[in-house]
Amino acid sequence: ASVSGFLSLLSFTILFLAWLAGFSSRLFAVIRFESIIHEFDPWFNYRSTHHLSTNGFYEFLNWFDERAWYPLGRIVGGTVYPGLMVTAGLIHYILNLLHVTVHIRDVCVFLAPVFSGLTAVSTFLLTRELWNQGAGLLAACFIAIVPGYISRSVAGSFDNEGIAIFALQFTYYLWVKSVKTGSVFWTIGCCLSYFYMVSAWGGYVFIINLIPLHVFVLLLMQRFSRRLYIAYSTFYIVGLVLSMQIPFVGFQPIRTSEHMAAAGVFALLQAYAFLQYLKDRLTRQEFQTLFFLGVSLAAGVVFLTLTKPSLPPLLRYAKIHIPIIASVSEHQPTTWVSFFFDLHILVCTFPAGLWFCIKNINDERVFVALYAISAVYFAGVMVRLMLTLTPVVCMLSAIAFSSVFEHYLGDDMKRENPIKQHPFYPVKNSSVYSKLIVTMLMLMLLMMFAVHCTWVTSNAYSSPSVVLASYNHDGSRNILDDFREAYYWLRQNTDEHARVMSWWDYGYQIAGMANRTTLVDNNTWNNSHIALVGKAMSSNESAAYEIMKSLDVDYVLIIFGGVIGYSGDDINKFLWMVRIAEGEHPKDIRESDYFTPQGEFRVDKAGSPTLLNCLMYKMSYYRFGEMQLDFRTPPGFDRTRNAEIGNKDIRLKHLEEAFTSEHWLVRIYRVKKQENRQALDHKLRNIAAKQKYTSKKVLPSRFH
Amino acid sequence: MAVFKGFPLNLLFASILLILLLCIQSGGGQKKKENMLAEKVEQMMEWSSRRSVIRMNGDKFRRFVKAPPRNYSVIVMFTALQPQRQCSVCRQANEEYQVLANSWRYSSAFSNKLFFTVVDYDEGADVFQQLNMNSAPTFMHFPAKGKPKRADTFDLQRIGFASEQLAKWIADRTDVQIRVFRPPNYSGTIALALLVSLVGGLLYLRRNNLEFIYNKTGWAMAALCVVFAMTSGQMWNHIRGPPYAHKNPQNGQVSYIHGSSQAQFVAESHIILLLNAAITMGMVLLNEAATSKGDVGKRRIICLVGLGLVVFFFSFLLSIFRSKYHGYPYR
Repeated sequence: ASVSGFLSLLSFTILFLAWLAGFSSRLFAVIRFESIIHEFDPWFNYRSTHHLSTNGFYEFLNWFDERAWYPLGRIVGGTVYPGLMVTAGLIHYILNLLHVTVHIRDVCVFLAPVFSGLTAVSTFLLTRELWNQGAGLLAACFIAIVPGYISRSVAGSFDNEGIAIFALQFTYYLWVKSVKTGSVFWTIGCCLSYFYMVSAWGGYVFIINLIPLHVFVLLLMQRFSRRLYIAYSTFYIVGLVLSMQIPFVGFQPIRTSEHMAAAGVFALLQAYAFLQYLKDRLTRQEFQTLFFLGVSLAAGVVFLTLTKPSLPPLLRYAKIHIPIIASVSEHQPTTWVSFFFDLHILVCTFPAGLWFCIKNINDERVFVALYAISAVYFAGVMVRLMLTLTPVVCMLSAIAFSSVFEHYLGDDMKRENPIKQHPFYPVKNSSVYSKLIVTMLMLMLLMMFAVHCTWVTSNAYSSPSVVLASYNHDGSRNILDDFREAYYWLRQNTDEHARVMSWWDYGYQIAGMANRTTLVDNNTWNNSHIALVGKAMSSNESAAYEIMKSLDVDYVLIIFGGVIGYSGDDINKFLWMVRIAEGEHPKDIRESDYFTPQGEFRVDKAGSPTLLNCLMYKMSYYRFGEMQLDFRTPPGFDRTRNAEIGNKDIRLKHLEEAFTSEHWLVRIYRVKKQENRQALDHKLRNIAAKQKYTSKKVLPSRFH
Repeated sequence: MAVFKGFPLNLLFASILLILLLCIQSGGGQKKKENMLAEKVEQMMEWSSRRSVIRMNGDKFRRFVKAPPRNYSVIVMFTALQPQRQCSVCRQANEEYQVLANSWRYSSAFSNKLFFTVVDYDEGADVFQQLNMNSAPTFMHFPAKGKPKRADTFDLQRIGFASEQLAKWIADRTDVQIRVFRPPNYSGTIALALLVSLVGGLLYLRRNNLEFIYNKTGWAMAALCVVFAMTSGQMWNHIRGPPYAHKNPQNGQVSYIHGSSQAQFVAESHIILLLNAAITMGMVLLNEAATSKGDVGKRRIICLVGLGLVVFFFSFLLSIFRSKYHGYPYR
């Protein structure tokens, strides 16, 4: 009893430390900068959470946001996965109920690191079900610090994935548990966890395809059991009903092809169970087996045809180059460098864990094998889905490492066990040495992994991208806070209902930080609206003015990195604007007009005249020609593109500069209102002095 | 004197004759021109009825494409298809071009307004010189009237040579809409059918002994193959189609590892695949050494080999990663 108590205390301590390590390694951004929401999408989530916490849940579900997609607006309640906002709002509510008064922003910032600890715990539970306690503890430690997961869950990255991975792992744990026990209790728990996952992230489709696949493969392996029957039948029905309660999901689970595999497997399972029942009654064994074979083959074919449409969308998604999808860098296939960068030693060792699992197969190890293979496929197709691969890699690597340690670290086992069982007993001395060497080297590998994880987290994944930092030669740091400066300017100095036009990347930030109406934002649901903004940006000023007038634009906001050499600015994104605009308005915008005859995109004198006179160019470089950055370069030298700009004498007719931030990173222009009346460009009417009266009947056409 | 007197008369006569002659000639010229045009169109139609893309040499090119009496547009692909030219892009472009030409040739809208031709460098080098062309493949459109303008040269660098893009460009230049019809690719289906029938046949032949289906090693191997293929970035290769390796044109050095962390070569991904497999094998061997019931010495050797595989190949992998990911501080 004391041993088991000691063990549970030890594992509790280890889990707690893993949680703590995971939490604190995600705090780099908070320590270096401040408690701030990062990037783009989190700003929308933050804004909705804020709305939820101030106006209540029902108001949130019915929220029609008239500040986005002007003049269309957006029904927020029906177009988001509310899990994240509800979680953060609930925590805020409970804390305030306990008189722990924290701002909702701090809840949002620290939500993902806290949930990473929960992920570690659920990974521990799942791995313990699959292998043993030791592997579980290792897996928990791995997932707490692995960069592939940290990339989506640093403090401030308030995004769906932060809580969804916890829900994913926990659902899988409960599923494995319910297959093992066959109890409805665990299955209902699994359904509730699945419901939470559906409410949190669109990636729930992965679960609703993987679990049926598991059941199907178990059927093929003739591992059908009552436990499986109970678990899957309950899960499918209750999970289906629960998932349809989310407004954004609605009737998709019974309509779209992604969910059909689950329905097919459900039908198959019922048929199989019925046949089993018949088989118990009937005696013609031979006929029965034949019948079973035929049915399972037919069902397999049906299953494949049903799942087939569910897999290719991802591939098609990656392959078709719709500009708006291709322009997002997350939708790219994955190189081996990204795998290694995000997983380090785990990527080379997890196949060994997979090997051990398949060699010692049982019901739940079938599950983890299928999980690994499908997740690795999806991660190969799209960088972004590395996130779903990471947990299974941690579990399988933990299995590989723990089985090695089990065999080479078991020194105290010698005292308890008889001599025969010990593998290296006969040559005791040398075997101890070899065991020592193996253990040392393995520990060293793990230490390298930990160091790598910390380095990657600190260098690659902890930049808020709202606040930039630059380092001087002596190592001191400059904070470039231009984004917030400009957004606060908008907030303080413009009319409350002013409409701000910008490229869609900055829509959420403008709405969140400046609280002004935007035309397009990161929820890219309306391509033609985005194309219209792209067209305005890439037309000349007077054509753009017409578009802006029709869209009631008051201010235009652009990002310009030429002064500090920031490469993610609007001129570098400009070709995507042109492409998207060309897709909708091929008669007015042509991509080739923006290139030199040699096919280059240049902003200097050799650049194409269309580019040098379009609105985006004019706004970016307005009065930039007067500015000399240092003595080695001529005035108007763009540091991002390393070129002297080609059009230094920029005059704006319909716009005026309203604000430029300290490092010129954000520039805001006011769209001038129309003059009182438009000047008539024709001559005054000449009235003929003496004209004979003529009857209308004779020359009616004169008066038309 | 008579000569002197006769001269103006003569002159008059001669001039009348000349005018007459001119009239006849010009009338005849008009007719001849029409004849020639009809002849040309007929000739072109005959050629294109035989092959959807008309091959041209220098003379033919000058006669049918450059020479003025024309009422048809010509799309010309300038290319170098001879194997000794080693132009792999030309071959790919040619395939796309053939697809386009065939879909025009067999479409219901086929007419004598548009012809597809090809000029190979080895058959009409003079044409290349005449047009001042120094790269292949190039697509040019020769309009029915007037000379080709700048936009009549297809922008291959930027748009690529997919036949859909070519069709769009042609529609832009000539108002002829071509719906690209690709011959369906049955090879995948056939391969799948073959595989299924092979597996089915094998199962049927060995129906009395289906033990091998339950062979866990086989399944584990298959699963590991998928995993290794994905983690070494074969999917990236499949989608992006990088070259196998890069040969430096200056000194002829072949580099197998791409210098940037954003890209990779096919050879590189194969190397990574092997390294990953070696490390995994090392882990498995380490485990094997501890669990198997064999000779102690043998087991120790297995253990050391496994350890060596893991440590050596992992450090090798790490050094490759370091060379690609600039600024990575650890060894």
